[in-house]
Amino acid sequence: MSRPGFVLEVDDRTPPLIVHEGLGFRLENFPLGTRVVYPPESLPAVPDVDETIREALLNPVDSDPLPTQLFAGMKLTIAFDDLSLPLPTMRPPDIRGRIIEHVLTMAAEAGVDDVELIAANALHRRMTAAELKHIVGERVFRSFYPQGKLYNFDAEDRDNLSHLGTTEKGEDIEISKRAAESDLLVYVNVNLVAMDGGHKSVGIGLASYKSLRHHHNAKTMVHSRSFMDHKHSAMHHSAWRMGRVIKDTVKVFQIETTLNNDIFPKPYEFLQKREWEWSVKDQASMLAVRRGLSVAPQKMRHKLFHDMRSVYGLTGVNAGEVEAVHERTLQKVHQQHCVEVQGQSDVLVMGIPYVGPYNVNSSLNPILATCMGLGYYFNSYRGQPVVRKGGAVILYHPLNEGFNQLHHPSYVDFYEEVLAESTDPAVVGEKYEQQFAQDPWYRHLYRTSHAYHGVHPFYMWYWSAHAMDHVDDVIWVGADRRVAARLGFRAASTLQDALEMASGTVGRSPSITYLHNPPHLLADVR
Amino acid sequence: MSSFIKESVDDVRQVSRGWRWGRRSLVPRSAEEFVPANRSTVFRTDWSREKPAMAVREVAHKVGLEPLFRSQVRTRVEGLDVLERVDGPVIFVANHASHLDTPLILFSLPDEWRRRTGVAAAADYFFDTWWRAIGSSLLFNTFPIDRRGGTMAATPGEVLADGWSLVIFPEGTRSTDGWMGKFRMGAAFLAKEHGVPVVPVAHRGTYAAMPRGQGWPSPGRRQVTIRFGEPLECGPDESVREFAPRIKDAVASLLDEDRSTWWEAKQRAASGSTPDPAGPDVAQWRRVWEQSESPEADAPARTLRAWRR
Repeated sequence: MSRPGFVLEVDDRTPPLIVHEGLGFRLENFPLGTRVVYPPESLPAVPDVDETIREALLNPVDSDPLPTQLFAGMKLTIAFDDLSLPLPTMRPPDIRGRIIEHVLTMAAEAGVDDVELIAANALHRRMTAAELKHIVGERVFRSFYPQGKLYNFDAEDRDNLSHLGTTEKGEDIEISKRAAESDLLVYVNVNLVAMDGGHKSVGIGLASYKSLRHHHNAKTMVHSRSFMDHKHSAMHHSAWRMGRVIKDTVKVFQIETTLNNDIFPKPYEFLQKREWEWSVKDQASMLAVRRGLSVAPQKMRHKLFHDMRSVYGLTGVNAGEVEAVHERTLQKVHQQHCVEVQGQSDVLVMGIPYVGPYNVNSSLNPILATCMGLGYYFNSYRGQPVVRKGGAVILYHPLNEGFNQLHHPSYVDFYEEVLAESTDPAVVGEKYEQQFAQDPWYRHLYRTSHAYHGVHPFYMWYWSAHAMDHVDDVIWVGADRRVAARLGFRAASTLQDALEMASGTVGRSPSITYLHNPPHLLADVR
Repeated sequence: MSSFIKESVDDVRQVSRGWRWGRRSLVPRSAEEFVPANRSTVFRTDWSREKPAMAVREVAHKVGLEPLFRSQVRTRVEGLDVLERVDGPVIFVANHASHLDTPLILFSLPDEWRRRTGVAAAADYFFDTWWRAIGSSLLFNTFPIDRRGGTMAATPGEVLADGWSLVIFPEGTRSTDGWMGKFRMGAAFLAKEHGVPVVPVAHRGTYAAMPRGQGWPSPGRRQVTIRFGEPLECGPDESVREFAPRIKDAVASLLDEDRSTWWEAKQRAASGSTPDPAGPDVAQWRRVWEQSESPEADAPARTLRAWRR
């Protein structure tokens, strides 16, 4: 039986606590009285994965069983989430691959010939063959990739996009032509956190810039409170409006999966245990890893962390009609991530780990680090933000990983040119977004290399818009001061210094909350 | 290189402090309700009553523990003559205020009794790790009892059946203020079940010498006293519920006797006015204050003549 999440109050018995900071972690002694939000322990995994998948496909929610929707001569498209999920990457076999195998087995039995598999990467970078293979598995890869039937979605391929119309608010809906023209679109997702899935899967994963710009902008993000709670997220409202139009045109069979919180494999298990429960072995492992990291060169530390493969357990598979499925999925996600927190605090502390959705097998550049902290972690709440309006956020990350030229070329220009002029999400969006979105060189790199779309750094900045609007002070502990200044923030050497610097905003004895994340959590702030 | 060594030392120091190396680890107060219940692991302790372990224990007692114990506290033992009137095994039932209680009782017993006496120890405290279990079993002949559940482990009965005497602290835990707490019925139950007498034992001064939370006796060789009382037997028609209070009363009377005289204590016991061993109903600090004073010694501490000059 897994224990629920809870809020620890730091007292004289509390040992130093783990705080992630990029390619490493530190032990931090928090001031007495600090609240620390711990996620629930991992839920038990389903005993038989194949049986669970089969059961979901044969008894879907508000939909006919999958085999009855498959017939000879039909056009079947299977879309799936890209490598931005789950985080960290799952140890093979990936759950998406296992589900796709079941779907294909049923399709083969029904005599379906015209099948294509599309990675729903929207404006994310194209995945490499090896990355695609990791997700779909060797069998599927071998059967479809050489024939060009397994590929990354290309949001700039005008010939292969289909405009399905507009919503009642005038939002364009433009998605993959192949998906739009299929007799059945099966979408296989990994619902790692509450913001994933639902109408966001097809409506965003297979959409072009023309569609995405309606909700991926500063104004929408500021009103997404939070985007981990789709009922109170302007971004999700937009995606839901689009999804309902898509539903009228395309027959979608949604398959959503939920995972437990088993993120850190051996010998890093101590990272997901509650510190006071560390055994002597855990303490020794922590010391060994920490000392090893301190002498390892950056490349080796990068390899050490990015080679980590999580041993997630599958907690459920739901299939059928998009909204009905997503409601069930969210129940499981909330069961795994939700922690009740009473009231807001003056200061919110968060440690940024080595990986986010956009730097799998890549580096966490300063813009992505900001997005992780002020975007994803800040928004890991329901109800109201963990920190009060006008409070301070303290983040841990060295901001020293630089930029990956292959994956993030437009980020370099965004950092050097755009942020040098303004760090206000609304201003930079207004002034520069179109220029980056339509830049032919970025388009070329997105389509032919492995680069994120030119507009992607803007989206990262928008993700952080709500936090920037909400808090008065953002301080990075242990960060490169020049980088922090370029981002419009300040840097401190220690937590004590950061609290001293924040005292102008929140006073000398602020209430502090630390989100002990990862493993993932969702603060239900009452 | 030197900075690496310095940082490594700092890291080890931080971990050793944070995780209280060498001491019992603590759970933050707000996390206590989320600590999972310990799985009840059965530690076999039969080996600690075999001859090799007994030999090791004898050496450890005589060469190490007893001299060390006597170097830290002064003891006064009364009432051992009761043991001449019983043929073992018996159950020694005592009040519990300190970790010094067990060595005090064991080292007060005559050697032939001490060698054949086991100590009931809390399974969740003394048997939570293998090294603590082995250490306490070897040195003090402890065996685990579950103090949370209503059922006693099978071991105490087996130990008694093998002819070993037992030391049981029916309060189940050390007193937080030095005064006696509520007695549980395990000792009375065992005595009735196995038809063995109960020898009440009362001691004073261990709380003052080494209270809860202290890892070593206070300096200055504090005085501790221990008094063994007349053996009690559970009558054939007496229930466990009737017998248990009788044991508690006997310990209370012994405590009274230790504070005053045998005659005065007897008189008070006869009139039912033995002072409540749970202590007076006054402010907590006054209860602690009173217990933190060591019993007076009959004679002043002996000091070498050379130092008096």
